Amino acid sequence: MTATLPFFPPDLFEADRDTLIGIVRDLGTAPAQRFILGDHTARFEQALRDTVAGADVVACGSGTSALSLVLAALGIGPGDEVVVPAFGCAPIAATVVTAGATPVFADVRPDTMTLDPGLAEAAITPRTKAIMPAHQFSVMADMPAFEDIAERHGLRLVEDSAVAQGATLRGRPAGTWGDAGVFSFVQVKSFGMPGEGGAVITRNPDLAATVRMLRNHGQDGKRRFVHHRVGYNSRFDEVQAAFQVRRLPGLAARLARRADIAAYYTERFAPLSGRGITPPPAGRDGRCYYVYCLRADRRDELAAHLAAHGIGTHVYYPAPLPAQPAFARYAPPGAAWPNAVAASETILALPVYPHLSDAQVEHIADAVGQFADRKESRP
Amino acid sequence: MSVISLPRKGNQPPAASAQIPFFSQAAGFHRLWPDIEARLHEVADSGKFSHGAQVARLEHLLADYTGATHVVGVNSGTDALILLLRACGLGAGDGVLVPAFTFVATASSVVHAGGRPQFTDIDPATYQMCPDAAARAITPRTRAVMPVHLFDRMADVAAFAALASRHGLTLLEDSAEAIGMRRQGRHAGLHGVGGVLSFFPSKTLGAIGDAGAVLTDDAGIATSVAALRHHGRPGATIGDFPAIKTGSELVGVNSKMDDVQAAVLIAKLSTLEQDIARRAELAAAYTERLSGVPGVRRVPGPVTDGRDDRDVCYAYVIEVEDRDRLATALTAAGIGTEVYYPVPLHLQPCFAGLGHRPGDFPHAEDACRRTIALPLYPDLTVAGVDRVCAEIRRHYTGTTS
Repeated sequence: MTATLPFFPPDLFEADRDTLIGIVRDLGTAPAQRFILGDHTARFEQALRDTVAGADVVACGSGTSALSLVLAALGIGPGDEVVVPAFGCAPIAATVVTAGATPVFADVRPDTMTLDPGLAEAAITPRTKAIMPAHQFSVMADMPAFEDIAERHGLRLVEDSAVAQGATLRGRPAGTWGDAGVFSFVQVKSFGMPGEGGAVITRNPDLAATVRMLRNHGQDGKRRFVHHRVGYNSRFDEVQAAFQVRRLPGLAARLARRADIAAYYTERFAPLSGRGITPPPAGRDGRCYYVYCLRADRRDELAAHLAAHGIGTHVYYPAPLPAQPAFARYAPPGAAWPNAVAASETILALPVYPHLSDAQVEHIADAVGQFADRKESRP
Repeated sequence: MSVISLPRKGNQPPAASAQIPFFSQAAGFHRLWPDIEARLHEVADSGKFSHGAQVARLEHLLADYTGATHVVGVNSGTDALILLLRACGLGAGDGVLVPAFTFVATASSVVHAGGRPQFTDIDPATYQMCPDAAARAITPRTRAVMPVHLFDRMADVAAFAALASRHGLTLLEDSAEAIGMRRQGRHAGLHGVGGVLSFFPSKTLGAIGDAGAVLTDDAGIATSVAALRHHGRPGATIGDFPAIKTGSELVGVNSKMDDVQAAVLIAKLSTLEQDIARRAELAAAYTERLSGVPGVRRVPGPVTDGRDDRDVCYAYVIEVEDRDRLATALTAAGIGTEVYYPVPLHLQPCFAGLGHRPGDFPHAEDACRRTIALPLYPDLTVAGVDRVCAEIRRHYTGTTS
């Protein structure tokens, strides 16, 4: 059946539909006829700087591409190794491969499902150039520990903060840890938009300048068609920038609503942890409730139960990265990532978008509780 | 009322009509607005804003228009080249013959796909990659040849197909500029294993942002490109959010097209043939007025305009004396121009490692010194062409007649 509460809501931007259409009309007919990396993008970048403690923000084509730009700007390429989590979204490994380097998979922590600092450190070899932890679902990776490791080993630290825009850890915003971080604005993200886009965040002005060059074919922004680096086309559309500038003032309230929904879920689900359903670790420090992902021993049954109650769910990653065909050649024989395997077998994400009503949130929590009760009542 | 506002720039001349920008699609966009607006509502109704239903529709419409069996929408023409080259199985260090006079993406895409660009010179009369020069550049490492259809005509695809066949090379086409161009009834991009389209705003079919596509008749290449654009995910992912729960079979990228852009492109595709005809009229008007003008060394030669063989004037490019001074004078007169391209690829800083020197490809180097592109787009009026030509004549002769 079609979920009456879809996991991916189609009406994320409904309140701003006329704004979007008006922007397309105005830009399409404006005398400037500037559609890519123009004044709106510059304003958007400037507005975002204020949200990341003044770090530089370079808007680009996608969060994935942002990671590629950072790796290229850091000079990571053939012969280099990058330690990445064994569990997560494909770009964390794919961008390392497309940079010409080798991803080295380390397991995640069993509770947060983020890269385990101890295991990451153990994976360092003389060829290691960087560590690239990723924030996962709603939880930031242990960035203070990774900064310490990177410092002690003389490694670059790239923060895959694509899912954590708006989170802060010990007062420091996601994206501002390490050499550089990234944001993704694909529609479902916490600051999603009606199109593809991303950003690089860095406090290093040289790195920012190199990323700016790389995103637009290696040009320096002064002389057109002179290419200093083998660059990419990873630019930002003016339509999207104008839209995001309009949406930015509402972001804090949307994030707060997501966090409130998550807090309610966690309060309701905490008592279920002895009954095969475990909520993510509670709290707000280092959290951004882009995805609320619980762990369920009988995950597929829970998903079916919720579907029967009209509630859409999603299993983000069905297999650890080294178990996927694309990355199998980077899985050394005999290596194992048991926490990644356990995560992929038990994760189930619930709707947590800000326009869910309180009644809908309660309905979802009730349905999860019913499942736990039903299981418990079995002989 | 405008929903967006930017600080007004100073020193704007009072009469905007006196300005002839290098590019504008504002009037055509305005005419198409009812169609575009309706499609944008469809996008909003669907709730999927990239890699969605409009992108799927655009792919089908482009397949109909070009005759390609497969069209795969991606984020840019550059990405289309990279993914096409990767889907062809280009290996580390494989050589790809490309012209030295073209946009950088022709060669940077080869690097990103793991290969090595092998530059060759152009035919000075047409600016197209020269088959004989390409044949001389073949080495044991050469694996593919990728001519570009530049500005206003196709490269000699029959000659390149013969060359590829003779030497066992893969033929690909950088057809980013070549929508509407055909040889022997076959659309540009479909004379080898595949080609690309760029929908950069100023292109013959232009979006209002970045977008591109791969064209191919090869099902295997299409399947690979479709997976590569979406994180290496197999199967039909377009319009299907839950499809992101599949794992990666290939090491992919994110190069999904925005549905807002697809919506604009679908509307513009409905007038593409008229736009192409308009471009040809304007190009002919330029050539008529500029032929024999002192200082103008070359206007574009004749192009084909038949049913089976057709060129399309994407860019109107002339050769002039003291090019940079003309560009400055036209800018001062409120006329926009562009230099495609001031530096040939073999002398670009980013390819310094390939070890080329000035003089290696003299025709490409001459073209970079002498050529200038004039405003050419369907919105332009013949009166506008008159004014551009009068200013050029005034610059070189001191009089407009």
